[in-house]
Formats: sequence, structure tokens, C-alpha cells
Amino acid sequence: MKKWLFLIACAIAGVHAANAQQWAPIDKSPLDQVYFPIDYPSLKVKGTKEPLRMRVIYSRPNKSNRQIFGSEIVPYGKVWRLGANEATELDLFTDAKIGGKKVPAGRYTLYALVNEKNWTFIINKETDTWGAFKYDAAKDVCRVTVPVERMDKPIESLTIDLEKAGTGVNLVAGWDTVSATLPFLF
Amino acid sequence: MTVLYRCFLVSSVAAMLLGGCKEKPTQSTTNSTPQHSGSDSAGHQANPPVIEDNNIYADVDISPMDMSYFPSKYPQQKIADPKTPPPVMRVIYSRPHLQGRKLFEEILKYGQTWRLGANEATELDVFQPVTIGNKKLPVGRYTLYAIPKAGYWTIAVNNDLDLWGLKQDVSKDLLRVEVPVTYYNPVMEYFTMVFEKSDTGANLIIAWDDALVKLPITI
Repeated sequence: MKKWLFLIACAIAGVHAANAQQWAPIDKSPLDQVYFPIDYPSLKVKGTKEPLRMRVIYSRPNKSNRQIFGSEIVPYGKVWRLGANEATELDLFTDAKIGGKKVPAGRYTLYALVNEKNWTFIINKETDTWGAFKYDAAKDVCRVTVPVERMDKPIESLTIDLEKAGTGVNLVAGWDTVSATLPFLF
Repeated sequence: MTVLYRCFLVSSVAAMLLGGCKEKPTQSTTNSTPQHSGSDSAGHQANPPVIEDNNIYADVDISPMDMSYFPSKYPQQKIADPKTPPPVMRVIYSRPHLQGRKLFEEILKYGQTWRLGANEATELDVFQPVTIGNKKLPVGRYTLYAIPKAGYWTIAVNNDLDLWGLKQDVSKDLLRVEVPVTYYNPVMEYFTMVFEKSDTGANLIIAWDDALVKLPITI
């Protein structure tokens, strides 16, 4: 009987604690993934024959009325994780050619060294890491420098898109009023 | 969803118009970038959800994606100590939220397959071989789904990758395990999956509303 009372008391305390509990917050910069072919998981369910090429897994910080590039958020001349939280991940499901270099299928980390007029995309072998805090250039697979494009309307959340470009794919990264494109050949 | 979104836009525009006079002075002090003067003024005062009316590529999803490693917070651990051994596994999943609904019967039905998330099928990446329900899982990528019942959930590990979560190919199941479910746990608004350390390896904690399931994984 005592045992039961104790259990009931525990249950009541538990429910009470549950009510007082704050809902687990969602991250300010939620994670997202983008496939090429775009929406591959839906296409696959519909029976697509197109080969799966690549995927980017990244977190999406918001502009939130701040100046992004050249500010303390993404300073010029420094390697940036091209996202938030964990370093941005590039999954190649088939071998690709990036900046003239053959990159075998596998998991990589994608960084960007941001300048006012150009970005250097960096593909690095060190995966499952946080931010660019321990970025190690010795583990670079390749680097590609491209000019930036400016847009009239700012993009609120950092967006990485994969677009068909001939036989290849363009990775387009856009945030605030800046975008940059990294071409992949398959 | 689009209708909801439209309603939200319309109401926020209306709020902006109605409250326009009040907001203007504060707005001019907080707003230093000229291109922002009109569009998102009402919004930023009260810290509302972000409206993606200017994202030309892709909106942020209503059930955002997330990922959990084992050991937990592995990427942070790794930068704190570069000698940290490689990670064991991770899940990548989307996080639907209750939004005032009860989990059972309003979102999930007993006996019906659920993708353990939203959108794409939930992915389990195994970086070192593990054992689930007496079956060895070699290094690789897998998908996870569940069949919830009142007293226990069946968790399936499947070989069909990179697909939308509504269509499971049972013939590609690698294993299924039945694990008990408990209720009256702290209420989770967002569907949550995290790993916790156990004596024999790790448990994958699966929690939503007040229901909680632990999938034991031996390392």
C-alpha cells in the first residue's frame, strides 16, 4: 500500500514537473539538407532513374536584421563554416570533378573563405566537426575561388541550392545580398 | 499550409498598417539598413517567427531537420579535444511539433508505420559497427522507422536510403526490434531523438509529447 502511495506521489510529481517543463526549443539555425537531383527522396518514391549525385547538410542561420558579410558574423578573409553549429557536410555519392580536380565519392566538410569580391570554397577531409574553429588546411582536398554575385533583395536564411548546369551541378550559396557558385562536374 | 502562410502574411501586413504610426519612431532607431524600411518592420519588435517572404531559393521547413551524434555533441567534443576518437553513429531526422495536437490519434495511430520524423526518411549513420536486437550492423547508412503500439513500439532498420518517409519497403528491412514505451514523461513539443550512454553502449531516446522509447544499441 505504502509502495502504491509512493508511486502515485511520484506520478503526480512527474506530471507536475512535466507541466512546468519548458518545451525543448528548436535551434535558432535549423539544420537542413539539399540533394541533387533536387527533392531526390520524393523522386525516388516516384521511381526516378536519375542517379543520386550529392547532398549538402547544413544549418541555416538567419540574417535577423544584421549585416552579415564583412561584419563580425562572417568576417572577410577568414574561413567560415558556411552554415551554423556543426561544419557543413558535403556528401558525394559518385566521383566528381571540382575546380579541375577529381574528388572521389565520400563525406567531406565544406567551408568558405569569404572576401568582399570573391569566395574560396574549401573541400576538406575532416568531417563531424563543429564550425571552422579547428579548420586544418593540411586536410584540404581542393580549393576553388569564385567571384560573388550581389542581389537586390536580401535572403533571410542562409540557403544552399543545387542547380543543374549542363552535365554538372552548381552549388549556389546565398545569404543576405550575396551569392556564390561552386561548379561540380560528373 | 500555403493558406496558413498567406493568412499569416495578410494578418502581419494588416498589423503593420494598423500599428504603423506607433511603430515608426522605434523602427527608425533600430533600423540602420535602408533596404529594410518597409517589409519586416512590424515583425521584429515582438520577435515573431521569421517570415521567409524574400527567400528566392527555399523556405525554412516547418519541421526543421536536426542531427544527434553518439557520443552526444560529438562535433563540439572534437574541437575541444582533437584526440577524441571517431564518432560511433548519428541520426538525421526532421522535427515535427505538436502545435496543440495530442500525439496519439491526432498525429500517430497505433499500428501504423511512422517515419520517426517528418519529410525524408530518418537516417541512421553508423561509423563503427554496432549491434541492435542481436543483429550486427556494419558501418554504413540506414533508415529508421517505427510502428507505435500502446505498450511497445516496433523499430525497424532498413536499407532503402535517400527517400521520402511515407513509403517503406519492408523487404529491405535489416532488423526489427520491439521496445517498451513509457508515458507521463516531460512533454516534448518537438519530436526529439538523442543518444544516451548505457552500460553496453548507447540508447537512442525517442521522445514526443509525453511518450518515450529507448532503443538499446550495443557498441
